[in-house]
Amino acid sequence: MSNNLMTVPLIIRGKLIENYELEFGGRNGGVVFTAPDVSKYVSELTLSAPSKLADLYSLKFAEIADYLAELGERLVFERNEYMQAAFELGRSTSGLSESLLRERFDLMPRMFSREEAYHTAERSCGLDFLEGWVDQTGSRQPGTSGFVRAFGARAVHIIAGNVPEVSAITVLRNAITRSDGIIKTPSNDPLTAAAFARTMIEMAPDHPLSKHISVAYWKGGDESVEQAIYDPRRIEKIIAWGGFNSIKHITRYLQPGIDLVTLDPKLSSTIIGKEAFVDKDTLASVARRLALDIGYFNQEACNSARVVYVESGTDEEGVARCARLGELTFEALQNLPENVSTPHKDFDRELKEEIDNVRMLDDDYTVYGGRGSEGAIIVSHEAEPVDFSRRLTCRVANLVPIDDLDTAIRSVNAYTQTIGIYPEGLKHELRDRLAFQGAQRLVSLGGASLLKGGTQRQDGIETVRRMCRWIVDETGDSAYLENYANSEPVAENV
Amino acid sequence: MVDVFSELMESPQAIMNHTLDKAFEFAPERIRKFQDHWVIKRFAELRPRVAMLGKLAKEQGIETIACADDAVPLMLSHTVYKSYPLSYLENSRFDKLTKWLSGLTVTDLSGVDGAAIESIDDWIDELEVKSGLLVTHTSGTTGKLSFLPWTKEQTRNTCALYSRVWRDFNGAYTGPDMAKGNLALITPSYRNGAGMAQRMARLRIEMFTDGNEDNILFLYPEERLSADVMSLSGRIRAAEAKGELGALKIPEALLRRRDEYIAREKARPLAMSRFFQEVQSRFAGRDVWIGAMYGMFYDWAVEGLNQGHRHIFSPNSFATIGGGKKGRQLPEGWREKIAEFLGFPVTNDIYAMSECTVPSALCAEGKYHFPPMAVPYLLDPKTGALLPRKDGSVGRLALFDVMPDTYWAGFVSGDEVIAGGWEKPCRCGRTGFYVDASIRRYSEKEGGDDKVLCAGAPEAHDSAIAFLTGYAQ
Repeated sequence: MSNNLMTVPLIIRGKLIENYELEFGGRNGGVVFTAPDVSKYVSELTLSAPSKLADLYSLKFAEIADYLAELGERLVFERNEYMQAAFELGRSTSGLSESLLRERFDLMPRMFSREEAYHTAERSCGLDFLEGWVDQTGSRQPGTSGFVRAFGARAVHIIAGNVPEVSAITVLRNAITRSDGIIKTPSNDPLTAAAFARTMIEMAPDHPLSKHISVAYWKGGDESVEQAIYDPRRIEKIIAWGGFNSIKHITRYLQPGIDLVTLDPKLSSTIIGKEAFVDKDTLASVARRLALDIGYFNQEACNSARVVYVESGTDEEGVARCARLGELTFEALQNLPENVSTPHKDFDRELKEEIDNVRMLDDDYTVYGGRGSEGAIIVSHEAEPVDFSRRLTCRVANLVPIDDLDTAIRSVNAYTQTIGIYPEGLKHELRDRLAFQGAQRLVSLGGASLLKGGTQRQDGIETVRRMCRWIVDETGDSAYLENYANSEPVAENV
Repeated sequence: MVDVFSELMESPQAIMNHTLDKAFEFAPERIRKFQDHWVIKRFAELRPRVAMLGKLAKEQGIETIACADDAVPLMLSHTVYKSYPLSYLENSRFDKLTKWLSGLTVTDLSGVDGAAIESIDDWIDELEVKSGLLVTHTSGTTGKLSFLPWTKEQTRNTCALYSRVWRDFNGAYTGPDMAKGNLALITPSYRNGAGMAQRMARLRIEMFTDGNEDNILFLYPEERLSADVMSLSGRIRAAEAKGELGALKIPEALLRRRDEYIAREKARPLAMSRFFQEVQSRFAGRDVWIGAMYGMFYDWAVEGLNQGHRHIFSPNSFATIGGGKKGRQLPEGWREKIAEFLGFPVTNDIYAMSECTVPSALCAEGKYHFPPMAVPYLLDPKTGALLPRKDGSVGRLALFDVMPDTYWAGFVSGDEVIAGGWEKPCRCGRTGFYVDASIRRYSEKEGGDDKVLCAGAPEAHDSAIAFLTGYAQ
């Protein structure tokens, strides 16, 4: 089995390529895996003509949903050797510890249920638009009408590997938008997307949905691959998850005809109002919910809380209040169940040094934990986050006491994704102002990773709508149009 | 015959009474004895007096140590000299910065009035006047300047020690001897400021020349390498590298002085052509010493060769390269190009860190040799545990510098090294610890977060000034 584990196949539209020529190192744990040399297959990697998407349009959405539901059945971990292999490799490459990764693999098949497919289509795009031409007539021009439809596109997805669900959601979206997707996998999760594609091939080798998904691993930035495929004659869209460096590589190839959808690297934070301190029980409850926002996914996700603004006041008493919350949060973090959060298996060494340094600065900070890999809560003594706030990870958060919520609001910018807020009323009160600053998603404290919201808008960036090409069909009255060719045009046109 | 070893057991500074080649002749047992003795002594003396060390020792539950190895849990991260919160600088809280620094040294800083100060440059000057501390700062390539609490005496000793390395490393008096005072000093950088290069350059003038300006040339003879501008520049680079420029905060004090900085920088292109002209007219054919960084030498050579200048100086000249490559990749043949331009080979390779006053030098076998005053440790990069002293082991280098007696000079570097000289001496014949020339930074190895390029101070200044110029007030 171990030979099997370390190979990452190339899959091109239903064809499995297992010519393992190149060796790559995983991001964590130093695991080495082998994969085919993608540069030798670039000519077939992209769909040669956009018209070849037509077979997807012979499918009704109901058939797509059926297909996905059956796929979900086949993805059940115990019955699927490809999922097992992806998990095995992920145990070494992923930043998630084994118990958390296993939980992800157990939950993923549910993402493919029929209900989920309909719900996703409806909320993230609009089922009508995916299924046909939707009447959008509303012009003041007499006798005209307009229709819009969302078509699929030829897209490369540069996915993130911090959680395996990224692979699942990409497969799902590629299917419901009737697109041709090439998934470029990351070194910290090279195999999960391939596990889906192989299961699809086994399940229905000639089905259009199986024939419009490709999965490849190449090293991000490899010109022998990227130069060839990032070409407007070969693809229409690039959907790039996270990683400033990966997005920087891609910008070199941008030109008219290629639409880049970036899911920028983002960080999330928390705002806790003074109501948290009304009594002991409330404070303990706030600490538990905060621990969830910090600890879920072991703080590997972009929606994990890192800097926490606490309206405790910054005088001595206020800092002590904030420190008490820090202490309780650290305890709650240690008590999270194993399938939710664990000590990080590969604690960030430089972060550890930073923690050791601030521990010495006891005028400026109080540190709970952070001695091994258990995580830490660093409480600032002034209304300033630690200098390394943007590299907080491995269950290390920074509580920042503030006198005034304005300080927290001003800290929000274009790099902010989710903000967890306590209490609920505060969320309502602040949401417009947070939006002006750049926040993308506001959630109840504790829900940063847990709430899926059902809005399906991925932090408000509308990934699915942007994966589509939106086509417009307009009809005009011939006499009305022709009138413009005559001497006296009607002046009412807008 | 004088017993160098017993003198060193009295004071590590005693090495200056001898030629430095002696430092590479001790038997391993003697090196161990010397190093154990001094690490134990430094800990005993400094623990009650250096607040940061006291806290760390308490945290680790260590009251005394019995040998050098016992100090491993007490090694500071090399980032400790920049562990101050950046908000101190952003909000001009130099009273707090002073307090922070006083936790790292026994030097009395109580006379320093930090509250009245609003720039780093002024703070450094105030420290020199009021406490005698000659704070040296690093280039801050990763976003923050380190401040090293060196005393004037330590800085002088370091300067002298480097000159001994150049003179004696390949045998007593076989190398260039700055103390003879016959070399003209050329520094293609700023004359003033508290960067390592500036501090050392001024000391060299004081210690190795008669002060005659005919024998001195700087690229910027009047200007100061501003710690404030360097600090901003480092943060801009760090933010750019992470795609976070939009989140950068600029200190108010710096914005108030913006016009002053911009005006100062505007005059600089002239300085470059003046510098080239003066090199040509005043120093061509002479015996010179030049100190600069790799990148600076290379840029200078390319520019000079383009203008048709080659073999500028006498072959008795010598050059020192410092500062590391800082992430910059020089093209193939860079060394030859520099030699062609200068007229003598650049061979004095030194591996040193600003946190350690004791440098190492490269032998013909491609190994950097540390004299016994730098106590070496090889640590497991993940756990920080001490690795066995086995030749060929790979790990993270930590050093304890026994020379300073006013601060705790044990620190963990960011470098991965292949260690040797513990079991068998190097083939070059020197005894004691060495590392293979194949040194790399862990941050580069991991391929991620530290890809900040630094092409040297003037360029850093340029980028910071450009940013300030374009910064909307």
